[in-house]
Amino acid sequence: MGASAPGARKRGSLRRTIGRVIVNFLMIVFSVSCLYPVVWLFYASLNNKRDFTVNPVALPKAPNLDNYFAIFSQSDMGVWMLNTLRNTAVSLPLILLFGFVIGYLLSRFHFRGHTALYGYFLLGIVIPIHALMIPLYVQFKKCHILNRWFTLPVAYVAFGMPIVIFLVESYVHSIPVEMEEAATLDGSGFSRTLFSIILPICRPVLVTAGIIQFFTCWNEFSFALILVSKDTLVTLPVGMTLFKGQYSTDYPGMMAAMFLSILPAIILYLAFSKQIIKGMVTGAVKG
Amino acid sequence: MQNPIAPKKHVLLLYLLPGFLLYTFVVVVPIFVAAYCGFFNWSGGPKMRFIGFRNYAELFKDGVFWLSFRNNILLTVISAVGQIGIAFLFASLLSSGLVRAKAFHRTVIFLPCVFSAVVVGFIWSMIYDYNYGLINQFLKLIGKGSAVKPWLSDPKWSLVLVTIPLVWQYIGYYMVILLSAYSSIDRSVLEMAELDGATGWKKAVYITLPLLKNTLFVCLTLCIAGSMRVFDNIYVMTGGGPGNSSSVMALYAYNTSFVRYRMGYGSAMSILILALSLLIIGGSRGLLARFNRKEGT
Repeated sequence: MGASAPGARKRGSLRRTIGRVIVNFLMIVFSVSCLYPVVWLFYASLNNKRDFTVNPVALPKAPNLDNYFAIFSQSDMGVWMLNTLRNTAVSLPLILLFGFVIGYLLSRFHFRGHTALYGYFLLGIVIPIHALMIPLYVQFKKCHILNRWFTLPVAYVAFGMPIVIFLVESYVHSIPVEMEEAATLDGSGFSRTLFSIILPICRPVLVTAGIIQFFTCWNEFSFALILVSKDTLVTLPVGMTLFKGQYSTDYPGMMAAMFLSILPAIILYLAFSKQIIKGMVTGAVKG
Repeated sequence: MQNPIAPKKHVLLLYLLPGFLLYTFVVVVPIFVAAYCGFFNWSGGPKMRFIGFRNYAELFKDGVFWLSFRNNILLTVISAVGQIGIAFLFASLLSSGLVRAKAFHRTVIFLPCVFSAVVVGFIWSMIYDYNYGLINQFLKLIGKGSAVKPWLSDPKWSLVLVTIPLVWQYIGYYMVILLSAYSSIDRSVLEMAELDGATGWKKAVYITLPLLKNTLFVCLTLCIAGSMRVFDNIYVMTGGGPGNSSSVMALYAYNTSFVRYRMGYGSAMSILILALSLLIIGGSRGLLARFNRKEGT
């Protein structure tokens, strides 16, 4: 910024500097609003009830883990976490497996009914599944598969499949058919080619799909609310709402529970934020 | 099929069938179940009484349902303007080079997208809280104690107040989509525009906006589909209240079926929700596509 710059240019650069400051300030304010809640959940969860009521945003005077011990001893937090973990761990591989196999078949082979099947799975992306909450409950009840350990995975796998099918389908188009042809000539059977040659090539798209589906399963609320009501099967997001009703005055305790419930997602996100953002974008735009 | 790499017919079938059956059972069959149950007066027990189209007749006169539908639409409009508008602004600022620490902002602003609705709802309930809420504390601080109120209990504002967290949570989602579209814009186009004297908002409106049109349409369809199925955020924050002022279709269907045990009526409602959602999602897509074609010629 030369001191000898003509007046007009000086004014211009001053205006630009002010603009720059305002714009940066605006972005920082919003970014802080996204980050602060997590930080607040964390430090308020180390506070005690009395100090929290005096000033909810103040830092705790004597930070301690009492709230964490309390939620594990007085609520089913541990059970909820295990349930959510199990649901996710069961659903995720199956979503990816079905999505991969069907996506591959739809992409490579024009068998009879191919187009119809393609449209049939597309339906799963188009229809708003939340309109199906009530009939799905009725149906699961009639089949006596409400309140089982596999109830939610059954639903999650079916809901997650279509998007993975289409992600894999478009990815396989970019793989040259010569891959499989060479493998077949070398005597590799269909299944072996599928799992030991195509599967590794599809790793990037499956990672993308897996990331999206992890967060979907981990945070899913509506179907967990209606399909499962047994205490031993309640999931983390639904458990949180029970917690809210039960200890409506124990804010720091509730914040400890909230913080714990988002901690796995935060750790995963901070570790893989680039891939996660990329995955979500691809998933969104393709879907 | 003379394709040498193709599996035998029974192998193909074996691979397709499990996924196909599961998907059919969970996603497709419920539509027929809802259509069937919608013809009955049924509280979920063994007694089902066939009543023809009476549920649907009642539904068309059900003020709460249409209020919920209206709320869905309002919520969609607020979300579309708020989420995509702010996301576009942020993406433009971040791509303009005016803002420092671009990667930091991107990472942090996307963070709320990985939170569950329950946590987001709780955080915002705390902000709106009567005793401890940030808004009321702020109002007291600046000496406007008379404006202090239990925010979420005001039926006039409840819908807007439950929509704000949704906007806040998903700005990052649309922002990263728009940012990736920005990065694919040819640099030289922007440089040419700058040489021609287009700066700041002029560049944004006349150059980048048209170039990002397709991506913005993708965002818009995602936002509409997302807003039509809103449930958990509102369930957690207000439960649809006070009264039914912040109710949405999915929430009303839930309350009808699981709180008032009107399964038949709830099923009929599911069918109507499905139809209305498809109509709006499909309609908006068609409209956008037509708009797109017109612009193109």
